[in-house]
Amino acid sequence: MSELWQALAQGILIGSTYGLLALGMGLVYGVSGIVNFAHGDFISLAMFMCLALFSAFALDPYVSALITVPVMTAIGALVYRFLLKPMVGYQFLMVVQLTLGLSLVLQNGILMVFGGQPARTPSVVESKLIILGDVVLRLPHLIAFIVAFAMAIGLFVMLRSTDFGRSIRAVHQNARAAALMGVDVGRVQVLTFAIGIGILAVAAALLLPGTPIQPTQGLQYTVITLLVVVLGGMTNFVGIMLGGLVIGISEAFGTIYVSDTLGRLVPYVIFVLIMLFRPQGLTWRAS
Amino acid sequence: MIREDFYRTLRSPWLWTILALSAVLPFMLSSYHVHILTIALVYVALASAWNIVGGMGGQISLAHSLFIGTGAMLSAALLVKFGVNMWAGLVIAAATAGMLGAIIAWIDFRFQLGHLSFVLITLAFAEMAAIVVEGWDFLGGASGLLLPRDTGDVLAFQFGGGRGAFWVMLGLAALTVLVNVAILNTPLGYYLRTIRDNEKAAQAIGVNVLRHKTIAMIISAVLTSIVGTAYVRYLTFADPYLLASPVITIEIVLFATVGGLGRAYGPALGALLLVPLGEVLRGKLGGVVPGLHYFIYGIVVIVVILATPSGLLPLFERLLTRCIPKLTKT
Repeated sequence: MSELWQALAQGILIGSTYGLLALGMGLVYGVSGIVNFAHGDFISLAMFMCLALFSAFALDPYVSALITVPVMTAIGALVYRFLLKPMVGYQFLMVVQLTLGLSLVLQNGILMVFGGQPARTPSVVESKLIILGDVVLRLPHLIAFIVAFAMAIGLFVMLRSTDFGRSIRAVHQNARAAALMGVDVGRVQVLTFAIGIGILAVAAALLLPGTPIQPTQGLQYTVITLLVVVLGGMTNFVGIMLGGLVIGISEAFGTIYVSDTLGRLVPYVIFVLIMLFRPQGLTWRAS
Repeated sequence: MIREDFYRTLRSPWLWTILALSAVLPFMLSSYHVHILTIALVYVALASAWNIVGGMGGQISLAHSLFIGTGAMLSAALLVKFGVNMWAGLVIAAATAGMLGAIIAWIDFRFQLGHLSFVLITLAFAEMAAIVVEGWDFLGGASGLLLPRDTGDVLAFQFGGGRGAFWVMLGLAALTVLVNVAILNTPLGYYLRTIRDNEKAAQAIGVNVLRHKTIAMIISAVLTSIVGTAYVRYLTFADPYLLASPVITIEIVLFATVGGLGRAYGPALGALLLVPLGEVLRGKLGGVVPGLHYFIYGIVVIVVILATPSGLLPLFERLLTRCIPKLTKT
């Protein structure tokens, strides 16, 4: 029984960060119709920036986030402005291809600078444990959970009640109508992409303590993020957070209860089944 | 059934001159350059096979690593574990790949997947296949399988490495490109392009969508699997991280897109330009800074896509028409 609770707790904690990763992608997809296959490599980039800051100034990943978030946001804005914006109006596939090319550049740029060896970025809270009855929680996971949900709620509030949030939702619902109402669609798209990448930098710092990183990990993070976004019904933000929890929990259950190989298959099997039988995502109301 | 254009291509002196000139290349180049060309031809064949589904049919399948992996890992496992002749292994693997292709096409049709869903589901299948190969000892597990040395015994699917492998790959590449030309000139090709451009309208005017998508996927899967078997025989080592990972599909799709999607010679052009570029960069720079060749490669891909989103082939054709106006009439 304690194993069950342990798996559940761990899955929920990790899943919340997956949800946060996916919110960035869902936001961008909703506003620009872009599926960014370099998403995971941007996470890598943010993680390796934290590593560099640690090696140079012995900064804790949580402190590094104060630097990486603005830097990544700026990178996001530049990437959208100079690489993705010129592709608006072309086939969906061309944008996918472009982000795949970008993924090659990022992944190998990181490899050139940091080498291919797995690396760790220590944090002061890394080995701290919290024991609740039978369940042992790692403090970094708990921090990740709290920050991820705080960010998600912050994002919802921003979307619901600020002018900028309303213009994002307007572009999301009908870009042409939004443009006619005087919303600067191009500006909204640049900013959402930048915010999406900035959110990644936060998620990267949350995932980093205790996780070994290597340059080739990008595609795996991209795939996990895609799974979550699709489970959430692409643009339904509550659904996406829920999708993150589902993937996190199924991964935790998979590794605890099923043998290694099959365990890694579990999230994909769940994904394919949901994709086939509930293509609108997990939530009942289609967005 | 097949339009006259195909036979004209087949009879064209250009085709046979190029093939004959290519075939004597191994006698003139160093073994290193022959190796690069052989790899380039592998990707010409793979990208052209993918083009049947991805380019003509407009279905961006990321599951082709499944077919390459079946062709390579299954035939290698049958040979190493059970001593099955690799020719038989090639047929068994190709049949398996064809079946997998039919299943994927059926799932796509049955659940009416949109473009994005199809990309994602095939990516999920590819990831699942990679996990299965790494975790299943029969297929070599994470450490892969080592094939017996290539002694040049054709009956055992051995072509003596080097030149032999080059000729086999040249044949396979020519075959897949010609299959592309043939399909573009048959009703199947027209149906596929109709489905790509508007599936609902195609269905409404009575095009059997399931049937044509399935046929295209099976042709593509079988060709891909055969190339996979030949490739693993050339490499002698069945490396799951190369042959069964989704990354190889992503590379193939990049070549096809850069060259020109849905065109008979587009994917071949993309692979012929990009693979040697990547290999030469790797040879020159790989030892100095790991990753630099892929880095430059990625930049080239981005620049090409930004500069000519419809691919290099249309660009070349425009340049040709400007330089030699006479050619355009034919």
